[in-house]
Amino acid sequence: MRDGSCPAVSGHFFDILVGKELVMQNESVIEIRNLSKIYRDFWGRKKVQAVKSLSLDVHRGEVFGLLGPNGSGKTTTMKMLLGLLFPTSGEMRILGKPASDVSKNEKIGYLPEESYLYRFLNADETLDFYGRLFNMSAAERAKRADELIEMVGLSKARRRQLKEYSKGMTRRIGLAQALINDPELVLLDEPTSGLDPIGTREMKDLILKLKAQGKTVIMCSHQLGDVQDVCDRIAVLFQGELKVLGRVDELLEIRDEMQIRTSSLSDAAIADIQAVLKKHNVVNSSFQKPKADLEELFLRTVRESGERPGRRFSAEEIATGTGDNKGAGGSKV
Amino acid sequence: MDFNPVPFDFAGSFSQWLIIVGILIGGSLGLSLLLAVARNGASGVPMFTRGLTSYLSDLGSLSLRRILAITSLTFKEAVRRKALLIFVVFAVLLMFAGWFLSNSNSRAELQANVHITFVLRTIAWLILPAVIFLSCWGIPEDIRLRSMHTVVTKPARRMEIVLGRMLGFGTVTILVLCVMGVIGYVWIQRQIPENVRNNLTCRVPVFGHLLFIDTAGQPSYTGINVGDTWMYRSYVQGNSRARAVWMFSNVTPDALVGDVLRLESRFEAFRTVKGSEKSIREGIEGQFTLVKNARDEAFGGFALGASTREMADLLREGQFRNAADKLKEFAEKIRTKPKDIPDPDYAGLAGGAQQASGALKVLNSDTHNFDELSQLFKDLFDTTFQLSDRKAAAAAGNTIFEDIAAKCDAVADYLKTNADDLLDHMPRLEVPLPTFTVTEFHEGDDIREVNRKLEFVADYETLGRFLAKTISRLNDAGKVVEGDSISPAFLDTLAEEKEISPLNAELLLTVLTEQLQSGALRVADGKLAVADGRRWFPFFDDLVRRELLVSQDSEGWLLTLDLFEDLTTAGFLRIEVSCLNDQMYLGMARPDLFIRLPDRPFYVGYTKAILTTGLMLLLVVVIGVTSSCVVKGPVSVFLTLTMFIVGQFFHDFMLRIVSGNEQGLGLIESAALIWQHRNPSVGLDASEATQKFVQGIDSVSTGFLAGVSRIIPDFSVFGSAAAHVEKGFDVPLDASVWPSVAAFFAFMIPCVLLAGACLKFRELESK
Repeated sequence: MRDGSCPAVSGHFFDILVGKELVMQNESVIEIRNLSKIYRDFWGRKKVQAVKSLSLDVHRGEVFGLLGPNGSGKTTTMKMLLGLLFPTSGEMRILGKPASDVSKNEKIGYLPEESYLYRFLNADETLDFYGRLFNMSAAERAKRADELIEMVGLSKARRRQLKEYSKGMTRRIGLAQALINDPELVLLDEPTSGLDPIGTREMKDLILKLKAQGKTVIMCSHQLGDVQDVCDRIAVLFQGELKVLGRVDELLEIRDEMQIRTSSLSDAAIADIQAVLKKHNVVNSSFQKPKADLEELFLRTVRESGERPGRRFSAEEIATGTGDNKGAGGSKV
Repeated sequence: MDFNPVPFDFAGSFSQWLIIVGILIGGSLGLSLLLAVARNGASGVPMFTRGLTSYLSDLGSLSLRRILAITSLTFKEAVRRKALLIFVVFAVLLMFAGWFLSNSNSRAELQANVHITFVLRTIAWLILPAVIFLSCWGIPEDIRLRSMHTVVTKPARRMEIVLGRMLGFGTVTILVLCVMGVIGYVWIQRQIPENVRNNLTCRVPVFGHLLFIDTAGQPSYTGINVGDTWMYRSYVQGNSRARAVWMFSNVTPDALVGDVLRLESRFEAFRTVKGSEKSIREGIEGQFTLVKNARDEAFGGFALGASTREMADLLREGQFRNAADKLKEFAEKIRTKPKDIPDPDYAGLAGGAQQASGALKVLNSDTHNFDELSQLFKDLFDTTFQLSDRKAAAAAGNTIFEDIAAKCDAVADYLKTNADDLLDHMPRLEVPLPTFTVTEFHEGDDIREVNRKLEFVADYETLGRFLAKTISRLNDAGKVVEGDSISPAFLDTLAEEKEISPLNAELLLTVLTEQLQSGALRVADGKLAVADGRRWFPFFDDLVRRELLVSQDSEGWLLTLDLFEDLTTAGFLRIEVSCLNDQMYLGMARPDLFIRLPDRPFYVGYTKAILTTGLMLLLVVVIGVTSSCVVKGPVSVFLTLTMFIVGQFFHDFMLRIVSGNEQGLGLIESAALIWQHRNPSVGLDASEATQKFVQGIDSVSTGFLAGVSRIIPDFSVFGSAAAHVEKGFDVPLDASVWPSVAAFFAFMIPCVLLAGACLKFRELESK
């Protein structure tokens, strides 16, 4: 791939690979050194230390996940990066500039945990407003707004005030405003919160697409599955301290187990395989039908329902994947 | 309402503003540095430097587009949150107000006043709460709902957010104000009764400065107090020498309406006896007199000191030689017994010399220059004024008195040497106008019209000067003498003089002939001359006072003068008011008489009133937004409202307390006195040490109040324009509009800087 010898592959995979290449460049977009944050009361007395001597780098082009239970300091860290909170000590540089430098925001997009947008504006006005904050010209704003509204699927609701939007729609317009300036660095706080599985999938696709475009994405999320799906690296915080930092695939790899996936096997075939495994002193092997995850089931059901309105699917159909479905008929070792 | 439309001292105000803002900025920076060091130790200094650099850098990179984006957002927010519902309230008020306001007063100007007041007050007081709530809640709500997060994480500087918010709320305010202003204007025009519409005008007054002459004929700062609660109005006694003296400046022919000068007055009548029914109905009689009295204006100040009063009288009478003798006597006394002269007399000497020095400069004309005498008086003032520095005066010993006496001698010598010139060029001219009446109920027309060409019966001095001038002119033209006697054609020559009637011409011929025959006059070189060498004015003045030239007409010597050429000096016009009825008094304050210039249309003043109201509301917006950058919405509302109420109603009171002009003691001391049930004159029932301690604390609290009085805007400045319009006056730019504009910017600039800093260095998400 690197030498360009790879034949035609889907754009999706191509983009992802390009993204991986960028990750490998190891250029730090965010540098955090010994960052601490202590919340104090009115009298200056210490209430809680939300972040303790945090040091980490986020590289250009990667999707980085900040994980941790509630109160672990991940949102505080993100808000310090954005200049919403001031660190008690330590240093942060974003895109080569101090976190307190407002000009860094020109290349940053931020989607807050909830979309705290102005509810009396409609989608067009919202994007126009945020575009003006980036000093974009009227024509540029209009073009960009059209693209983004189309992208987040709000074309039919662009004239409605945001107060009439559902939570999912609000997240979408929130995402659109975060991308109005075509940012280099995107910070997403709980990006899939409030989204239905389709929206979640679209959001994840979008994150991967951003990555493919060479953008750096940092996300906080409690949805570990989502994080696993899209993140290259993660950091796990607990009570303000960094506990785990590394590549997702490396961290999740179970080094002393193997998994083989085939089409459905007969009992004889299973017996033969077990004999082979026994011959090689493999213990603790098990044979079972693999299960699709609920997200996959949901997406398929929605897709089928759209194609065949009024029809209800039986468990058998779902399990065997009849019709034009891609069945889940396989065995997992 | 301000009756002193002196030009707004922009330079002085600006320098004072710079000093205060400089102190505030310096103090804020110092405090910030201290806090940074206290919280972070040595690293606080670089943190402070970085913060300051960042703040200044933000100031230098403000973007108009971003500011306007936030302005537009704010405007939309206000509109979509139904802020414009205020129009409905306004409309409802206007719909029903007419029921209660029409025919609310029998006097036309008061009816107009009621309608205008209603509209202007309603507009201001309806918009004010809306503006306070909008501006105080905007940013705190943004922070609470975290909408602010989506803005500050864009390249928007926090200063831009502040400016955008202020501009946005300001735009809403101005829009509402303009719409209400137009509706209000139309409503006034339509609602006001037909017969009152003429009163919808903007009078343009020229107010003068008021002094008094007491019953002894001496100048005084006040008249008589007849027992009114309000001290600002003084009274002049009827049938006495007492007069109220108004001095108007910058009176030019532009002040004419058509060919007349309009004097509008509203005096109070006060009776010590009831009088007849006719007298009550007709009112008390008063009279205006136009006066050009160069001698009084120059030397009247000396009458304030007992030792120089006699000299002042002589100077005012034109007896310069006698006055010089008096001054010499006084100088000798100063030289020999300086301590016998009381301090007020030295003050009177200094004050008189200062007034003389200034007034004489104004009297300079093509025919005579008073600079030398003016300088002599200035020297006298400078020398005498040294006595005000008691320590320096004590150190100088008798030398200083020697100097004063020397300066007095110099003045006296000049007066003696130039007595004739001074008499010729320092006339006193008095033109009485027809009498008027004042009733207790202020009925009737208060406007007197003074023609530019004034025909009046000359008094002695004026007649003397007129005759001297006329005969001198004819004599110079060779039309008086033929051979050794008066020319036979002299009578015909006099007949050509319009102001001399045939009967008086004959009288003049007769008197001159007699004087020639008696040897008082003589003929020299074909010209008539006074035998003893006197000038013409003293000669004729003598004849007039000996009543040899009493008019042969029943009308008297009717002379015609030009109001501006003959009765004003460098634009100054002096008008004296006297009360003619015995045992009656006329009361007056400075605004009770003014020259009414050509009126301006009502909308001119109304627009200015709306403009200053707008500035007031904008300042409220600025303060509201600023406070909302520091505290939460409800606290911000409370803070802004408090500043407005204190600034509107108690600013003057605060200044009086700070300057010590308000009765009462300090904060703690007053509270303790209340506790002890004692009054301020008795003082605190405590040891001397305790009293000093309490007074020390009070001086600190008064100092704090002095600081607060500089920080809280004087909102009453903005109400001045509306007060003018309500009373039917135009709004003077100098007195009302410019101070309002200056006050707005004076507070807006530091508020913006402060709000930007507060928002920048504030954590928007603190737990």
